[in-house]
Amino acid sequence: MAPRDSNPSFMNGVPELLILTLLRSHEMYGYEIVQAIHDRTQQAIAIGEGVVYPVLHALEEQGALRSHRKTVAGRSRIYYSLTRPGARRLADLTANWTHITSAIQTLVTNYVIGGTHAQAIA
Amino acid sequence: MPRQLHELRERLLRAGVAPRHVRRYLAELSDHLADLIAEEQRNGLARPAAESAALARLGDTEHLAQAMIRQPQLRAWSARAPWAAFGLVPIAVLAAAYAAALTILWTGWNWFLPGMDSPFGHQTTGLAYYYFTAGRALYYTAPLLVGWTISIIAARQRISIWWPAPGFALLACIAATVRVYAARSPRGGANVGIGLGLQNGYASLVPALIVFCVIAAPWIAWRMSTAPRVGS
Repeated sequence: MAPRDSNPSFMNGVPELLILTLLRSHEMYGYEIVQAIHDRTQQAIAIGEGVVYPVLHALEEQGALRSHRKTVAGRSRIYYSLTRPGARRLADLTANWTHITSAIQTLVTNYVIGGTHAQAIA
Repeated sequence: MPRQLHELRERLLRAGVAPRHVRRYLAELSDHLADLIAEEQRNGLARPAAESAALARLGDTEHLAQAMIRQPQLRAWSARAPWAAFGLVPIAVLAAAYAAALTILWTGWNWFLPGMDSPFGHQTTGLAYYYFTAGRALYYTAPLLVGWTISIIAARQRISIWWPAPGFALLACIAATVRVYAARSPRGGANVGIGLGLQNGYASLVPALIVFCVIAAPWIAWRMSTAPRVGS
């Protein structure tokens, strides 16, 4: 059984951000979360199917999530939902993520424009 | 439970993950696996192929274990601070139980035997009987209950005998040498106290050894049940 390809150093904190974002609107269970990440990122981000649960447990321990068992269509599942501290955590993570991606975008854009400009002069 | 999940449980418990998180993780993985198998079957795979594909998507045992082990807040207290869980806390709990037993003795003496020189050696009836019996039961059973608790915790969390053994030894020595004293002060006040002493010399170590074996029994039973069978 081979784990799915991922880039651990770039993925640090990303599962947390994705999970909190998905749970902002409504409660979900683990399988549903993995499928939603898969679908909504057009399969660009592949989180290991089983490793989503330790992140969920850790977020619940930190008070960012709450869980409860619910039976739907004869299947008992553990549903997770966002708490008030979890919403604050999401706002912080989102701001941080936006700041970093914007900085990277600026760097990459300048590099591409600078490179094209340098090529044009040459 | 598939063999992989059984292996994962043992791996996580030995790594110090709290049993309640291990239990829930395995339950969620089992549900997830069932969903994946159903999905693969909907996509046209036969049951055995769907199971293999689902297990591959779930991740291998080491990958799943590392994801859990990397979360420090999911570790059991006994794994984070075993010296406290198997040394300080049992002794503190035993001290608290002895303090409660002495309080029962002191209050019972003042309430039910106010004129007596000692609370020992009197026939009591009714409420007084039950009150003193509760105190005695607490005094005699506290080392066993505390010892069994740490023994069961050590067994549940697959902890090596080297961590709980000093705690067992300390509890056994205390249980075998502890003595309660009660005397009236010259002004008539009731005084009770507790101390340790080898009243029968080194013969006191025999009860200590027996108590040690009794409190270590749950851990020994678990170890024997999981020991590899000869010839297997």
